[in-house]
Amino acid sequence: MPDATFLDANELVINMGPQHPATHGVLRIKLKLDGERVIGTECIIGYLHRGVEKIAENRTYAQFAPYVDRMDYCAAVTNGMGYVEAVEKLLGVEIPPRAQYTRMILAELQRIASHLLWLGTHALDIGAMTPVFYTFREREEVLKIFEKYCGARLTTHAFRIGGLQYDLYDGFERETVKFCDYFLPKIDEYEQLLTKNRIWLKRTREVGVISGEDAIAYGVTGPVLRGSGVKWDIRKAQPYEAYDKVEFDVPIGEFGDTYDRYTVRMQEMRQSVRIIRQCVERLGPGPIFGKVGKVIKPPAGEVYHSIEAPKGELGYYVVSDGTVNPYRVRVRPPSLINLQAFDKMAQGHLVADIVAIVGTLDIVLGEVDR
Amino acid sequence: MDWKDFLRRIFFVDLIKGLRLTFSYQRPEATYTEQYPLERPPVAERYRGAPRLNNHPQSGETLCIACNLCSIACPENLIVVGWARTEDRKKRLTTFTYDLSRCMFCGLCEDACPVDALELTQDFEIAQYSREGMIWDRQALEEGPKPVRYTR
Amino acid sequence: MLESTQNFLVANPLLLAFIKILIIFTVLSLIVAYLVYMERKVLAFMQARLGPMRVGPWGLLQPVADGLKLLLKEDIIPAGADEWLFLLSPAISITAAFTVFAAIPFAGNFYVTDINIGLLFILAVSSLGIYGIILGGWSSNSHYPLLGALRSSAQLVSYEVAASMALVGVLLISNSLSMVEIVKRQLDMGIWNVFLQPVAFLIYLIAAVAETNRNPFDLPEAESELTAGFHTEYSGFRFALYFMAEYTNMVVVSCIAVTLFLGGWLRPFASFAALDFLKYAPILAFLGTAAFVLWLGLKSSVPLERYFFIGLAASCVVLAILVAYPPVLNAIQGIFWFGAKILGFLYAFIWYRATFPRYRYDQLMNVGWRWMIPLAIVNLIVTAVARYLWMSHHAATPLAWLGR
Repeated sequence: MPDATFLDANELVINMGPQHPATHGVLRIKLKLDGERVIGTECIIGYLHRGVEKIAENRTYAQFAPYVDRMDYCAAVTNGMGYVEAVEKLLGVEIPPRAQYTRMILAELQRIASHLLWLGTHALDIGAMTPVFYTFREREEVLKIFEKYCGARLTTHAFRIGGLQYDLYDGFERETVKFCDYFLPKIDEYEQLLTKNRIWLKRTREVGVISGEDAIAYGVTGPVLRGSGVKWDIRKAQPYEAYDKVEFDVPIGEFGDTYDRYTVRMQEMRQSVRIIRQCVERLGPGPIFGKVGKVIKPPAGEVYHSIEAPKGELGYYVVSDGTVNPYRVRVRPPSLINLQAFDKMAQGHLVADIVAIVGTLDIVLGEVDR
Repeated sequence: MDWKDFLRRIFFVDLIKGLRLTFSYQRPEATYTEQYPLERPPVAERYRGAPRLNNHPQSGETLCIACNLCSIACPENLIVVGWARTEDRKKRLTTFTYDLSRCMFCGLCEDACPVDALELTQDFEIAQYSREGMIWDRQALEEGPKPVRYTR
Repeated sequence: MLESTQNFLVANPLLLAFIKILIIFTVLSLIVAYLVYMERKVLAFMQARLGPMRVGPWGLLQPVADGLKLLLKEDIIPAGADEWLFLLSPAISITAAFTVFAAIPFAGNFYVTDINIGLLFILAVSSLGIYGIILGGWSSNSHYPLLGALRSSAQLVSYEVAASMALVGVLLISNSLSMVEIVKRQLDMGIWNVFLQPVAFLIYLIAAVAETNRNPFDLPEAESELTAGFHTEYSGFRFALYFMAEYTNMVVVSCIAVTLFLGGWLRPFASFAALDFLKYAPILAFLGTAAFVLWLGLKSSVPLERYFFIGLAASCVVLAILVAYPPVLNAIQGIFWFGAKILGFLYAFIWYRATFPRYRYDQLMNVGWRWMIPLAIVNLIVTAVARYLWMSHHAATPLAWLGR
């Protein structure tokens, strides 16, 4: 008797296994297909669970900072920024403006790097194999700046609780501005290759549509939310650091399809360059560390602090019991919450679109599983 | 769709623009490849690579005062500092063990050291052939890694 | 001695054909092997990187390394697979791909045979290659390759229709199915068919890319898709055969396009004697190659590479001098121009792969059935009408030949 599920013309369950070139990590998706149409999906996660939040209970606040870089490994600087700011909120410490502007510059550089990685891999999944090389070359320049500043390219551990460990190196401003000047024409190049390309439009228009109301209902944040037309950016809505002192626009999309999310992220890269330029201008001399004691022992209490990470709203819920170790650190991973919308987006599409939809959500499994 | 868009569509203008871009990338100066191991990458000064125990430049004695601060600072507890009191009631360093296999190169130990004895250098070629080779004792830490340099 | 060997060969046509087949087969295998190398290099340069560099100077021995590797790999036959079909399918693919070259004229006097239904033969035999794909997917006894094979073959068949209809347009102009005759018509008319049938050329170009399963039409065999294509279960030399069959198909469709649309072995403006100086192009080509190779060699820092490249440049210069000898120059004209045009097409294939994203399968079939085929039919109608209208003219202009 031949395999029943294979010959049954009505439903076929296919496993897009944890090892797959297009799932951006170890994501397992079970697809229920009717012919070629997807009628149901199920995401099975947890293949990269490392128990980061449990580790936090046994480390001091300063010792836990290197572990947060490993969650969203494509955007380590913003991970670190979120955690460090959460603990600073708990401590009630003010950071000097030089540190604030430096943090903003590094965070925006990291946003550019993360979006570049997303663009390269997304284009590769859809079939265009050259943008990935171009974007990774630009990413190299950003990572070189990170390496010169804090000593590591990917797992940066750039910030400390209360300010910065390292002051800016000689030539940081010059190199950052040079990068901005070098980078803006490159965005035009990517647009030349993809934005008006009829094949790209055919593959991304009306694929993975999610409306604004649905996005808010699922708790989706970041470019996915903004692509659906909702103008919500934590840098504008609940400003942290010095984001209320710089001018930038928040791009939004119209239809909530893959193409809109693509344009939103491209525009965000341009806005990041704008922010970086303004911050470099406003960098003045001054201290880089706030008033923090040698041992970090926040008073008992809890705080939730969220930032606009490249992937969405990254939140840290830190509960302190007055000792040197946190009682609980809970991370709100944007990729996991965005992944909830995957089922809604994938309904009724063909199998070949699943890859595009996973790509457009911009998930990193390190963050989803922690 | 107006006539200009129609013409653009039938003459594949959007596709040709993309083709022009990839064609222009064939110029030699656009190549971004670094032929490692013949061309080594420039490493930043602050790079957090292989650890090293520094010695005093003139006397050759170790700078480490066995204060154990690095061991306390390490999130992974992989530094073991052995010390002994000498005749003149001073603490002297005896053994220093660093487990590279668990190290995340976060730099907290380097930040903690008050005398700049422990330093993360720019060496990134620290692969070893065995797990035991990844645990460095004081001598390995003072000498640093000796990677094989390949030539043509 | 040359006369007597020539007479002997003419007297034994079978032996002559056999020798020609041997030459074509060897040269073609080399071309296909180095087409893989050229693709990797050109793709790499367009992607701001270098491509194969380690195996031999500038990676020139990479095809040898790849071939050896595939030969030495373990030969896996999946359990429950139909063994005979599993062995036969790559053979069918590559046989069909190579057989086509029997009817393609590489130069005015160098072709294995000139069948008077040459075009029909070519289209028929290249369609047989589809059997290799279907049987390969079927005999793998696994549903992913089967689905991939079905999709791939459906795509091939659809674009086969569009390509054939585009070629019928050329047929209407040339009045003959024989490949040599079509090129001779272009020489007589003084104009290449691409200017008389631009729409057909475009359709054939797009259909050719789809026929060979290349980007932007390579969904059935793309790595990041669910069904990994009909050749999933193949490894080792069988996979090498499929791989070679795909690249040979690329060369086949380029040859057909060049012969039918771009004047085959004719030099540009072949009927204008004023531009006869163009026949010195081979000498320039060899000298140019020598200069380029010399520049590459002088840039290198490794002595072995440098000497190799200087040697290569020197041999190119020697070849240029050899080619400058008039009988050799005349003999080599046809094959040189043919080769140059083929190279342009193959470069275009690689260029498209570097630039474009991939069409989804239903969009691919959409383009084939809703755009290519109706456009080809319209082209046919317009050509037929135009030809009928010109038929009454008998003026001694090149275009009057349309009406003959």
